[in-house]
Amino acid sequence: MNNQEDKAPLFRSWRTWYTLVVAILVLLIVLFQLFTKYFS
Amino acid sequence: MSFIDWIVLAVTLLIIIGYGLYKSRTTKNLDGYFLSNRSMPWYLILLSIMGTQASAITFLSAPGQAYTDGMRFVQYYFGLPLAMVVLCITFVPVFHRLKIYTAYEYLEERFDLKTRTLTSFLFLLQRGLSTGISIYAPSIILSSLLGWNIYWTNIFMGGLLIIYTVTGGAKAVAYTQQLQLIIIFAGMFLAAYMVVHLLPEGVGFIDALKVSGKLGKLNVITTGNTEKGFNWSDRYNIWSGLIGGFFLALSYFGTDQSQVGRYLTAKNVSESKTGLLMNGIVKVPMQFLILLIGALIFTFYQFNQAPIFFNQAQVNKLAASPKKDTLRFMEQQYNLLSAKKKELSATFVQEEKHGSASAATINELRNVNAESEKIRTGLKDVLKKEVGGDTSDTNYIFIRFVVDYLPKGLVGLLIAVIFLASWGSIAAALNSLASSTVVDIHKKFINTSCTEFMDYSISRYYSLGWGIFCIVIAQFANNMGSLIEAVNVLGSLFYGVILGIFLVAFYCKSVKGNAVFASALIVELAIILLFWKCNIGFLWLNLIGALGVVVIALIIHATFNLLKLSKQ
Repeated sequence: MNNQEDKAPLFRSWRTWYTLVVAILVLLIVLFQLFTKYFS
Repeated sequence: MSFIDWIVLAVTLLIIIGYGLYKSRTTKNLDGYFLSNRSMPWYLILLSIMGTQASAITFLSAPGQAYTDGMRFVQYYFGLPLAMVVLCITFVPVFHRLKIYTAYEYLEERFDLKTRTLTSFLFLLQRGLSTGISIYAPSIILSSLLGWNIYWTNIFMGGLLIIYTVTGGAKAVAYTQQLQLIIIFAGMFLAAYMVVHLLPEGVGFIDALKVSGKLGKLNVITTGNTEKGFNWSDRYNIWSGLIGGFFLALSYFGTDQSQVGRYLTAKNVSESKTGLLMNGIVKVPMQFLILLIGALIFTFYQFNQAPIFFNQAQVNKLAASPKKDTLRFMEQQYNLLSAKKKELSATFVQEEKHGSASAATINELRNVNAESEKIRTGLKDVLKKEVGGDTSDTNYIFIRFVVDYLPKGLVGLLIAVIFLASWGSIAAALNSLASSTVVDIHKKFINTSCTEFMDYSISRYYSLGWGIFCIVIAQFANNMGSLIEAVNVLGSLFYGVILGIFLVAFYCKSVKGNAVFASALIVELAIILLFWKCNIGFLWLNLIGALGVVVIALIIHATFNLLKLSKQ
């Protein structure tokens, strides 16, 4: 498997992608918590 | 259903079958049939992964789940994005480097043939059974709506998708899933719009959310804590979702061939990773929106007369039984409470708008809903004793709303959505069941010297054979309550152990085949006993299974090493 085949799109490295996925999950959980609190 | 609905349903299904057959021209060897010659871009991988996971059960059961239990079911998906990251770091590069057809091939290279065969067998058992349930899910709609015999409906339902799955293999599966998902999202969006549109004048989207929230249906985040401490039997809370859901998703996407087979079709490792990570980003919001439809339908039925039981076929049976007077009495009581709900909900919305919402109104509304639920529970008891059959109507809530309230044409489209969602996941499952049977069993134990064309022909026969097997299983899928839960419970019985084997393979380099094989057998038995004897939330079984295999394999490995040392 060469490096070109494992190149991350948009970002410099896959690490940035992984951080983005985890950050979006955390953001969603925070938003869901606010949603739950607000409507109940 | 009206004539227009029938036309929309038939045309949509025929387009998918035609498109599947058109795209079914593939190279006549294993690479072409099972892996589309490893040529797919990331967006097709994403759609294929989503189409495989989101079955008809997702669209039938999830809104019903939100209606009855609130939106907390979304927490079940919280571990999924984390699992996508771990998969991209660990599993995907290895699978691509080895150029394997099934995930279980790696286990022979890492351990031995018996561990590969055991894992493949556990997968085939679990996936074969749960695919049977996935065929049953849309069949219950048809049988309920049209009064068709459920057994013939299962055969009809399973038979249609076999046409393009057997002919076209992975390529036909991926391309039809792409078209299916576009139609599914359009249909679900229209359904959500219609729920809000059908609310009484003056009641908007936010008002609907407020009513639903005050009645406990927008409980998206729950902790599982009670006065007595953490409730381990609580199925959906943030901890079981993050931890148990992580192990379940890791196992499902990393070791279940129905998913591994999707991202192995990617043209390179980067396309596989991008597809999986995008799935990690879109899955939770998508599931949230599907559940939100259920919460909105709950509000809709605060302003409109809800059926006392959403499966009308069961009610009809009770109405024809000696207990028909009991049913009539219960319906009268329920209708009185529905009228009260409508009045109180309207009052609550008006009070909210004027900034003067009173606790008394909402408490009374909660009490009336609790009374309604008591009557429904009572009716379920009567149904159980008098009629038998399925006494859970969770799977019928969404589709009953669609049939009763949506305009002509849209009903047909939504029924088609249920079919297409089901076909997407079943087609991928049949393709993976066939690939695992051919690669892990047939070519290892039955005929080790097949030509490429023989491989291709045998694969088609196995796809057909598994299709027939799953239809047979569908015939026995009655009385399973919420089908989305039934599939997940079934998966949790096996996924933990399968994942544990892979975790040992990846992270415990010194452990050999005998230790992990013995460990897997012990833990699988323990998981089945635990599920049978103890009241424990099923998501935890994934964690227990995975960690159990790792720990026991390490203990067996260490014990053998000590024995060896003592002999020397």
